[in-house]
Amino acid sequence: MEQRKMNLLIGLAILVLVFVGYGIFSVSVKNDLVRLDEQVSAAWSEIDNQLKRRADLIPNLVATVKGYATHEEEVLTKIADARSRLSGARTVEEKAAGYNELQSALSRLLVVVENYPALKANENFTRLMDELAGTENRIAVARKRYNDGVREFNTRIRTFPGSLFAGGMGFSPRPYFEIDAASREAPKVKF
Amino acid sequence: MNRHLLNSPFIRILSILLLVLAGGILSAQIPHKPIGFVNDFAGVIDPDSAQLMEQISRSIQEKTGAQVAVVTVESIAPYPTIEEFSIELAQNWGIGRKGKDDGVLIVLAMKERKVRIEVGYGLEGAIPDSVTGRILDERVIPALKQQQWGKGLLQGLIGVGIRIAQEKGIDPKDLMIPSSQIAARPKRSKEGIDLGPLIFILIFFFIGGGRFFWPLLFLGGFRTRRGRFGGGFGSGGFGDSGFSGGGGGSFGGFGGGSFGGGGSSRGF
Repeated sequence: MEQRKMNLLIGLAILVLVFVGYGIFSVSVKNDLVRLDEQVSAAWSEIDNQLKRRADLIPNLVATVKGYATHEEEVLTKIADARSRLSGARTVEEKAAGYNELQSALSRLLVVVENYPALKANENFTRLMDELAGTENRIAVARKRYNDGVREFNTRIRTFPGSLFAGGMGFSPRPYFEIDAASREAPKVKF
Repeated sequence: MNRHLLNSPFIRILSILLLVLAGGILSAQIPHKPIGFVNDFAGVIDPDSAQLMEQISRSIQEKTGAQVAVVTVESIAPYPTIEEFSIELAQNWGIGRKGKDDGVLIVLAMKERKVRIEVGYGLEGAIPDSVTGRILDERVIPALKQQQWGKGLLQGLIGVGIRIAQEKGIDPKDLMIPSSQIAARPKRSKEGIDLGPLIFILIFFFIGGGRFFWPLLFLGGFRTRRGRFGGGFGSGGFGDSGFSGGGGGSFGGFGGGSFGGGGSSRGF
């Protein structure tokens, strides 16, 4: 009788230990997932900020170019279109697509600019191009950090032990911010 | 048989080792340790410029807490662009203070004939990209075109130093910058009243702190409180850094500042 009681007690203790152990384990795994998820979101908002910042520079740039390059309506229209499409984009994929479109329109502009030495010598244009290049570079840096974060997060929720909890916590893989190979090289004006 | 070999633990461990080794070689391209504020790895800076730059950087740190590093390299390989090299280096070394992110890196790559000013998060407001571009165009590039590498970099440092001085409301002359180098631009007056401590005290007062606050005020404690929260004028910041080396002796390393890709690059 005593023996059975003892066994029951030991069994119960083991059960409690297992539960507590599992509890601690799951909390730490979940916290880790939440931390990674937050990291990815923060990295994304940095990209988003810089995309907005760049969009804000464009009207100014277009206005400056118009003053010198009077026969380049087509290029400028393309840029304005791409910009408004990017502003309307909501998801990561849409924004990446909008980014790529704007990027290719901008690089066409920079080719055109080569034909207008007076524009290239314009102080205001130089400053705008510096701001644009800086924003470009910030996007590249933020994109790398974001994609690194996404890679870690996605790996974590697809592999053990994260995979045990990811579904229950409503975590699904985050999309990468993909850019075209063509726009990988940030557009640059040669001064 | 071949498959078996590929799956063997030995081959796996070997390949992991190779990968680690490759990673080591790749990261070894970033000069691992700064030797001072001025790091002339390419050996192109004349001694006078190097010494003056070291002095200016040191006084920038002492007066404002910001850290400005100058680096020259033979080549940025294996990094494809100076932007990627520069941010990797700046971030790795942690130029600027942790949390304040007030670091700047001026980097010159000889083989690629590129120069870049990289600005930490905390100074992006004081030194926007258009300003780094202008510093490069007006001060740095003309000297580099005459192959005066040291002078060009010194000019870059002076340009950056002046902006930091303006931001912190101190005289550029206090940063060891020769007065002949300071253009007569209108100085932005930043010496207004620092509202931070006042707001803090008001909040403290309004959220029930008044109970403790009133007696303090009557006991003349107001002054001590203000002393503790105030000190917004330039020189207050460097006590908490721990790397000022006690009065400018040897170089004490960087503070762990962070970078987001701000700044400008130029070819020459």
